[in-house]
Amino acid sequence: MKSSQFSRYAPKSSIDIGVFLCRCGGNISDTVDIEKLKNSIDAKVVKEFENLCSIKCHKTIRDIVLEENLDRVVIAACSPITHKKDFQNQVAPLNPYLLEMANLREQCSWVHSDGDKATDKAIALTNAAVERVKYAQPLETVVRKIKKTAAVIGGGISGITAALSLANQGIKVYIIEEKPTVGGNMIKIGKLFSPEKMVEECALCLFNPLINEALDHKNIDIITSAELMASERRAGNFDLLIEKKPRYVKEDKCIACGKCADVCPVVVPDQWNENLMYRKSIYKPFPQSVPDVYTIDEENCIKCGKCADTCPMNAVDLNMKKEIIPLTVGSIVMATGHKGFDFKHRPEYGHEKYEDVITQMELARIMGVNGPTKGKLLTPSTGKVPDRVVMIQCAGSRDEKPEGKRYCSKVCCMVAMKHANFIKRYYPDTEVIICYTDMRTPGMYENYFRYGQSKGIKLIRGRPGEVIDKDGKLVVRVEDTLRSEQLEIETDLVVLSEAMEPSEGTLKVADKLNVGLNEDLFVKEKHPKIKPVNTDVEGIYVCGTAQGPKDITDSVSQANAAASKVSEIMNGGLEIEPIIAEVDHSKCDMCGKCINACKYKAIYAYDGRVSVDPIACNGCGICVSSCPEGAIEIMGQTDSQIFAMISGMLKDKKDGEKRILAFLDYIGYVAADNIGINRISYPESIRIIRVTSINRLMFKHILYALENGADGIFLGAYPDDMVSSETKEKVREFKAELIKNGIDPDRLMYYNVYAPYFRGLAAKFDEFDKQVDMSLDKYETILSKASSKDI
Amino acid sequence: MKKIPDKDILIFKSCLISGEYPGVESSTKYLFDKLGVEYVVEDRQSCCTGLGYYYDLFDQYSTTALAARNFAIAREIGHKNIATMCSTCYAILKKSCNILNENDKVRNKINQIFKDSKLDNLIYSPGDMDSEGNIFHVAEVLWSKKAEIKDLPMIDLSELKIATHHACHYFKVHYKEDSIGNKRNPLLLDDLANACGTETIGWYDHKKTTCGAGFRQRYANLDLSLSVTADKLMSLKENDVDTLLHMCPNCQMQFDRYQPVIEKNLNTKFNLAHLNIAQFLALAMGADPYKVVGIQTHTVSPDKVLEKIKQASPVAV
Amino acid sequence: MDIMEFKTIKIGKNNNKLTDSIIKDLKTSKDIGVLKCIQCGMCTSVCPASRHSEYDSREISKRVLEEDESLIYDDIIWNCFYCYTCHSVCPVGNSVSEIIQVLRQKAIINEEFEQIVTFLAFGESLLELGIGSIPIEYYSELIEVIGNDYPEFKNKLDEIREELGLGSLNLPDEDVKDIGNILEKTGFKDRLEKIRAYKKSINSEQ
Repeated sequence: MKSSQFSRYAPKSSIDIGVFLCRCGGNISDTVDIEKLKNSIDAKVVKEFENLCSIKCHKTIRDIVLEENLDRVVIAACSPITHKKDFQNQVAPLNPYLLEMANLREQCSWVHSDGDKATDKAIALTNAAVERVKYAQPLETVVRKIKKTAAVIGGGISGITAALSLANQGIKVYIIEEKPTVGGNMIKIGKLFSPEKMVEECALCLFNPLINEALDHKNIDIITSAELMASERRAGNFDLLIEKKPRYVKEDKCIACGKCADVCPVVVPDQWNENLMYRKSIYKPFPQSVPDVYTIDEENCIKCGKCADTCPMNAVDLNMKKEIIPLTVGSIVMATGHKGFDFKHRPEYGHEKYEDVITQMELARIMGVNGPTKGKLLTPSTGKVPDRVVMIQCAGSRDEKPEGKRYCSKVCCMVAMKHANFIKRYYPDTEVIICYTDMRTPGMYENYFRYGQSKGIKLIRGRPGEVIDKDGKLVVRVEDTLRSEQLEIETDLVVLSEAMEPSEGTLKVADKLNVGLNEDLFVKEKHPKIKPVNTDVEGIYVCGTAQGPKDITDSVSQANAAASKVSEIMNGGLEIEPIIAEVDHSKCDMCGKCINACKYKAIYAYDGRVSVDPIACNGCGICVSSCPEGAIEIMGQTDSQIFAMISGMLKDKKDGEKRILAFLDYIGYVAADNIGINRISYPESIRIIRVTSINRLMFKHILYALENGADGIFLGAYPDDMVSSETKEKVREFKAELIKNGIDPDRLMYYNVYAPYFRGLAAKFDEFDKQVDMSLDKYETILSKASSKDI
Repeated sequence: MKKIPDKDILIFKSCLISGEYPGVESSTKYLFDKLGVEYVVEDRQSCCTGLGYYYDLFDQYSTTALAARNFAIAREIGHKNIATMCSTCYAILKKSCNILNENDKVRNKINQIFKDSKLDNLIYSPGDMDSEGNIFHVAEVLWSKKAEIKDLPMIDLSELKIATHHACHYFKVHYKEDSIGNKRNPLLLDDLANACGTETIGWYDHKKTTCGAGFRQRYANLDLSLSVTADKLMSLKENDVDTLLHMCPNCQMQFDRYQPVIEKNLNTKFNLAHLNIAQFLALAMGADPYKVVGIQTHTVSPDKVLEKIKQASPVAV
Repeated sequence: MDIMEFKTIKIGKNNNKLTDSIIKDLKTSKDIGVLKCIQCGMCTSVCPASRHSEYDSREISKRVLEEDESLIYDDIIWNCFYCYTCHSVCPVGNSVSEIIQVLRQKAIINEEFEQIVTFLAFGESLLELGIGSIPIEYYSELIEVIGNDYPEFKNKLDEIREELGLGSLNLPDEDVKDIGNILEKTGFKDRLEKIRAYKKSINSEQ
């Protein structure tokens, strides 16, 4: 769309408008005097029909448009919510946005019984539509063309799943993983719990084939040891800069023979094994690491060169430099995962002090066959099979105290049951006690819980306060709340069911991408129910534990959902209603106020220009008010269209007649239609104008309406959307401005509208109608007093 | 991290320090003088009511009214940065300050009492004092001077086996606000001990357990009270600790006065001396054990410390 | 068998009077989580009174939520140490320590003075001198337990204070008068008076 198409000024007078009136089988014509209505309209063509929505009539509309060579069309019939799309399709080749509707049924004939008054209102509604359509512009549906390439940040189960789904749908995917291998947390866990089977499944056996599939996929590039450095949005795409840290081993030459590690003199704790064992400075995290190559960890390497001398492939390059990789992608999936709770914040649990106080993740490594004990359950300090294991639930979770996590980490009950079952299966003589507050094993997991109970796992209901070392034995202090007894439980091993918290990568990447986080610092979804994988930035999606604590099953579902959202915008040819913001670059001085004001993060600066993401923009109009230069318009809701609608609604006002303009957002408009559908009446004074959001309105519109005959202004909107606080602010601003202009603020009312509570809206219309009467009476009294004084 | 002032400080007198361990106050003054902390002690300042408050004798109104009076005096003499030597004073004053700032009803009622008593100079306006910005513990002021302390000449006390007892009313009451360091593992006193070149044992079982005074319990329920103290003493004994550092006279009293009783009851010896952190630092800096540190008021004599001091400077003792 | 003994939670008989009054009390924290208590028992697991007596912090919270007003007259509430350990660890921001403070105040407001009568001297000392003192009732017991060094040092206190370069223990008379004035108007003197009368009555009974 070119800015020359902006119709800010009055259109040429010779616009040919056709108005099509619908009797709606008596639904309209029984109340509204169609003859009178017909005669009150100033248009080139005015025609009435019994049922405009019938197939026969559709054809007639098109014929008349063509025959009469109409420039604009007004349909005066039912609600645009249900029928506008239909009619828009019928006026082709006329641009669909050159059609307006007047809602004579839901918002007139069905809500008013007085024929004369209803007819007067119908005339006003139709005239308003005629006025407005004069200012209509031909708009094109926006089809966003974006690059068919996606970046998946994070190579855990969520990232790999999303990447595979995308790749299989023909989309080129880059997996960006900060560690030297993909696999994330899942690959570290030896055995997984399963809701269906009463056995624990092998994590590596499930995950490794997926990783290999990703590795071999022609549409997937895996970039390991890599971090996102910067991101910029451009025309729906993202320009990313990726920094690949030097591995000091040439990936294409290394054959992973391991000779280098044999000679490396530097021994360090092995993080991949939760520091429970050691590795060399040149290492491969685990045998099945992908990519299957060695890496030197820069932090610990002493650059002695022994590895380089030994390598038969000449793969070691100690002078390797970091690499900056620029990528342009059409969409991003954040799969940056979680980390375990840091127990330095709960020193009373002794994780920092006692070797035999471990986390569930550490226990998973201990019981992993590729772990420090080759899968044997051994107490770290003694190397013996423990006689007793005590597990502490909610360790760090469900804790409002500073540094605690308020939320339930959701998987820990099942994780504890899994490890307890596993221990009971292989070490039946080892006693397992789980100290819990609530066992939360929803859905099918309840079976798993019962199974564990049947194996003799002991449960003590109480949240332990501390773990201490008493004469070389660990002791857990807890109240058995079911017996009101303070206990000290001796044990060989304590396992803390650690809270899940957002990984550092999640925080870093969210910051770089300007993606919003929730209070608990997980990635915030656009809507927790209906948009669970959208972030607040259009085109960026989230899945897995980056979004909140969840198990593998849920992570995989979410990863597939995220992939399908990406696929939608890449494969589906997404069409968007063009009722969105447009910037007049000749006026814009790049102050950036609109960028900060936009709650949908739809506006961004790129290459010295302010740009609007058409998918993200929902036309709320906050940016229009924020722009000091008046450089932004909402297409289809331009100032001139709003002014035209107002003046049309107020045209030919009679002496003593009262007219109230009700500006309603989408939900408000639907609720108003519902009033009609349920045949509830409200005063004829109410004239409804639909706006994208109350925030689209500016005080100049309100003042113009009041100065041109409106007796009251009603504002109605759904309060639980992203711009509701701005709406409230707007209403306050309007009230303050009214007072400044010497107008009674009671002539303006705001109301929270909910679609199913249309009765409330109808009652509010009544109430406001009376409030306006009182305000006008007050005004009359003041006037008469003033004039009597003058006399 | 909150900003800890080093001037305009009112050393807030404590009943138990005045009557039991006056050496803590003289040691505090000794340290403040050495560290260049500007302070006053004020005759007119009353008790915070803390002990009475926790004996359940005092209602919140009365306690808050007297806090408002003390705040007014602090402001009047231009020393509105209060540094308490007792952790209960610390908690009580902070709570009262928050009430005075946030609760209009209580503040108005108290101000009305002042007006009716012709004590208009005491009237409190919101924000006159800031709980975080004006109310501190002496140990916090010392903590903020760690670097300076490190630079001062010290008697070598590194052979002592030291543990710390962080007072409950310092780190547990206003845990959300601003007590320094990890509230789950307080290290304020450990940091200070380290500043004069001594190590502490750090964590030990019952490190966070109360001294056992329990306010009324020490008097009305002595057995219960002492069994809690004994828990802690036994754990310290297991760790061979010879010096326990304190920051509250009530705790110090519980341990120092009752340790011999518990020894008798349990038929054991603890060999453990109790010093307030200010007393400990003052001794390390060479202060006179009697004329400054006031150890003559202690029940358990800190013999090991005195021995070290004697070795370092035979003249001093 | 007595069917009346069966505990029934009757419709329409329930309110949150006790809980609400605790939440709103000046002695409790603004955002005290009484209503969020899930009876996890963490408070009890670290409570010194629960470790060494019949007292159970979790149980206190439970009885409050059950609106059990008999708690006010239950001697068990006098076992709390006010060490705030429960307060500092409670995962939902409840504070049994603060609950107990309110319950004990309720007992006193209902003129249950038995548990505090022996602490009267602290209040009297504050009114007389502007500073608190060790409750005189326990002084002889204290000497008995601690030994004779204690009263000896106490006798020499002024001397020692002087040696340490410290000022007078007491407040100027004018200020003691102000404090008395203030405490009269806050109702504190009245409360002490009532406790004194109670003390007299039990003394005469003996």
